Amino acid sequence: MSGLGELDRPGTPESPGAWDERSEEWALADDPTATVDDSRIPTGGPAAAEDDPMTSMDAPMTPVDPPVGPLDDASGSRPAPAARPKPPRRRAVDPVKALMHRHRDLCERAVDALEIAAGLEAHGVTDRTAARFRHRDVFSLAEEMYARVPHDGDRSGPATDTTGRPAARDRASSASSADETGLRPRAGWVLLSLLPGLLCAATVAGLRLTDGRTALAVAAAGTLAVALGLRAALRRGPLSRPDRAHGHGTVTRTCWLLAYAALGDGLLRAALHAGPDSPPTTASDGSWPLSAALLLTLALACAPAAWCAHLLAAGARRRLTASRGLEEFAASIRPLLLGTFTLFLGVLAGLTALCAVLLGDPPAYGRTLTLGSLLFLARLLTVHRFTHAPQLVLTAAVGAEALALSTVLAARLPGCQALGAPVETVAGAWGPAGVPALVCGAGALTLLAHATRTLTRASAHARPDAP
Amino acid sequence: MRIGLLTEGGYPYVSGDAGLWCDRLVRGLAQHEFELYALSRTEHQDNEGRFALPPQVTRVRTAPLWTAEDDGVVYGRRARRRFADCYGELVAALCEGPGAEAARYTPAPQADRFANALYGLADLARDERGLVGALRSERAVRALERACRAPGALRTAREARVADLLTVTAHLERALRPLSLDWYEDDALGAVDLCHAASGGPAALPGLLARHFCGVPLVVTEYGVRLRSHYLGGGPGEETVPGGPVGGGTSAPAGSAGAGDAGGAGSGVGSGVRGGTRGAARRDAGPFAATAVSPAVRALLAAFHGRLAAEVYRQAARIIPGNAHARRWQERCGADRAKIRTVHPGMDAAPFAEVGEAPDAADPDTLVWVGRIEPAKDLVSLLHAFAEVRKEEPRARLRVIGAPAGPEGEAYLGHCRILAAQLFPDEADGLHSVGDNPVSFEEIGGPEAPTPADAYAAGAVTVLSSVVEGFPLGLVEAMFCGRATVSTDVGAVVEVIGGTGLVVPPRNPRALAEACVALLRDPERRARLGAAARARALELFTVEQNVAAFHGIYLEVVSQCPVRRVVLDESGEPLPFAVPAEAHVASRWTGLSSRFATRRGPGWAAGPPVRGMTPGPAVAAGEGAAR
Repeated sequence: MSGLGELDRPGTPESPGAWDERSEEWALADDPTATVDDSRIPTGGPAAAEDDPMTSMDAPMTPVDPPVGPLDDASGSRPAPAARPKPPRRRAVDPVKALMHRHRDLCERAVDALEIAAGLEAHGVTDRTAARFRHRDVFSLAEEMYARVPHDGDRSGPATDTTGRPAARDRASSASSADETGLRPRAGWVLLSLLPGLLCAATVAGLRLTDGRTALAVAAAGTLAVALGLRAALRRGPLSRPDRAHGHGTVTRTCWLLAYAALGDGLLRAALHAGPDSPPTTASDGSWPLSAALLLTLALACAPAAWCAHLLAAGARRRLTASRGLEEFAASIRPLLLGTFTLFLGVLAGLTALCAVLLGDPPAYGRTLTLGSLLFLARLLTVHRFTHAPQLVLTAAVGAEALALSTVLAARLPGCQALGAPVETVAGAWGPAGVPALVCGAGALTLLAHATRTLTRASAHARPDAP
Repeated sequence: MRIGLLTEGGYPYVSGDAGLWCDRLVRGLAQHEFELYALSRTEHQDNEGRFALPPQVTRVRTAPLWTAEDDGVVYGRRARRRFADCYGELVAALCEGPGAEAARYTPAPQADRFANALYGLADLARDERGLVGALRSERAVRALERACRAPGALRTAREARVADLLTVTAHLERALRPLSLDWYEDDALGAVDLCHAASGGPAALPGLLARHFCGVPLVVTEYGVRLRSHYLGGGPGEETVPGGPVGGGTSAPAGSAGAGDAGGAGSGVGSGVRGGTRGAARRDAGPFAATAVSPAVRALLAAFHGRLAAEVYRQAARIIPGNAHARRWQERCGADRAKIRTVHPGMDAAPFAEVGEAPDAADPDTLVWVGRIEPAKDLVSLLHAFAEVRKEEPRARLRVIGAPAGPEGEAYLGHCRILAAQLFPDEADGLHSVGDNPVSFEEIGGPEAPTPADAYAAGAVTVLSSVVEGFPLGLVEAMFCGRATVSTDVGAVVEVIGGTGLVVPPRNPRALAEACVALLRDPERRARLGAAARARALELFTVEQNVAAFHGIYLEVVSQCPVRRVVLDESGEPLPFAVPAEAHVASRWTGLSSRFATRRGPGWAAGPPVRGMTPGPAVAAGEGAAR
């Protein structure tokens, strides 16, 4: 392009001869840089005759008239008359080398000769042009150019030179790709991930301030609002699923787990003491208390969860471009994964303490951390398109919790006291919260083991919408 | 006969390229039955609507290429191993080297490696009813890594990083999506007599599989070589197939733009841009020009597309390029010369008939340039040439008719206007009249040129000054109008114009000027060339010849390589004599053996056997009938 532009002379030529030696002289005198002079392209006449059998059919009717002058020979080496010999310095110039210099970008990035051929053709090089470089067609010209590009020395240069430039380039490219793929934290999902926590806090405050029928209405409205907020938060950002296909199984299971987290402990305690005698209340000293602190903590944890998922995705993308092999990638991403998980646990513990202080309840670390990490890992795996294991583990957790409740209730039947023994043992040791903590902890550990195996695969971090 | 028409991002969709061509083909061959198998390229295309299909299209099946939901197929152990084997072979074949080159130089068994792996994957996809999940899986990435690190792999492939591996895997998954389709059953592609792929690449892949599973012969038409457009980096968007715009091929600017084959339509070739606007010249457009795509990815994908093209050419019964340029590429990629039949794109001649038949009423001093205004058209060169013309012929006028293409075209048009104003001051007939510039810029649809035919009719000589051109539809339109033309020797111009116009080298204003002056001064020659051009265009570039050529090719293919089907009765037993014996005759009589026997002539010339043996009368009769 620029090369071709240089070739072309914007000035108006003043002598009529275009393809004879005079034009060549003119080019020589004026333009020492141009090694290839377009004015010497053979005319279309003979080329047409070679090119197309139909031409020869039509040719007798009205032959192509070459507008001027005698033709060069096909190779264009020098005009036939040879009235004035060329200056010797021009003989020394290698025309293909000049062409390669003109198209050096193309030559350097070409992966095979055909790519050079395609690029040359896109720049207007035809077989007729190739004939001037003593080649049969563009393909053989491209082959020579490809063969002459210094591949080994140049190519290995930037790859082995790890001192500064390539790394900087990698960073730049990953940064640009991060921009394109939305890996930069965006205000949208950052704010949305705060939404469930805020809604839940408002609901809890409302419940504290009201009682009776109003409290019931507030609870219902709050539940609905938090559910909608959660849905919105999971629609966008790093916690959103790439393919919004089937996924309602996890939703119901998650809802059950949350419902149990809110009401289950109180129910279990009441059931162990031959209750429940009254509907659940928000008062922590009631017979069936609602564990609002746990729900609030989990809702607030949406934001750190999104951030952790974002950190993991961004780190994985960086490691993808940096690492040379799959093993190396797996080795480098495992600490990142575990670190992210630990970070989430830490933030969750902090939130638990905070909520406990705010609501005046004793902090239930084991209960909150296990359930939170279970849900976080399940979502993380789902986001990376591993839906099977989270579904399985969540189902198992739901089943185990339901089983625990039903065994306690079934133990009231005559002759079935033995059924309630395991749960009573656990509850006796760690309180009623020990049962779900045990279940969720086991589930979270299973998922963590699964994640260290699956999320360290490179294919887990492939962009689903990659072309 | 029942023809399965395979398109990709094409025909039934209104926005698809090659739509008009396919529509004309289907309507022109009403005696045949068409089944349409279309792959849609984008969601936008899917939503945009489709052509109204004629009744001979008995069935339309579409599949999206732009999305593939995970089919949820979980492989058993044996299927997993089968997949790993096939995919490993496939990527190992890719890592051996550039495909098209390899196809030309490697011996057949190695060239078969890719094909065998491809068909192995197809078999697997058919048996397990899905391949998408497996192609995305870690197993695929691992196989690719192993192939890249294997000894003897491409140097560029060995440098692939994990991100590159993932990119290549994603590309392959997308390219191999047709393998997971359910089109290859006996009630779909298995029931057609002939598969006609409207383009190479992904569209031909179902044809390959239909041939593999059901033995259906495949015909591939390539108006733009798919591999080439892949190299130019645009992928699908770059490839345009002639047939003109959807509007009916009557709008010359868009029509000329439609022939983007050799144009590398997306590449803003800056050759025509000089001086101040050179900075606007883009590099080769497309994702592959972006720095984000590493050499390893490009090498592997080029190898894949090259090998796929080679395999398509190898299996196709007929390969139909649209012009000599496409033919050269196909031959380069391993197409057998004997299978290639060039069929030029057809255009509707009717809108130009009136102008073409009428006596020349044009202003004898007017040159006309018609087309889409963009840098590749090199209008600057044309203006300089016109300056030369004015020196010889002071009364000459130049009308540039066309709309700019995109913002780059706008900028270029502005540049050209300024240049024209600088080169040619306004002129007036006398002291008391308003002057006018000898160069005018107009658009089709304006009062001066309401239709393209009027635009061509306005000038005595039509000029084409491009530096890059595909199949020049504008030139064909000028030929339909019976205009004498001066064109630059680019793309398929020489092939189109034959001997019926003047051809000068590109980027040579002086030669262009000389040719224009020669024609302006010689009305008789102009008329002679114009008449010859119209005759040639009517002979070669009409829709009718295009359709007739395809009809002939269909018949030829069906007679030479018919589908051999075993007809089953209700209980699933083979039905003897269900296919009449005559069905096999055609292929036997024109089969290789008889032709070889007669071509080789007497046996003693070919080898050691019996002396004095001559072709028997039966064989001679067979040859005669076969011809």
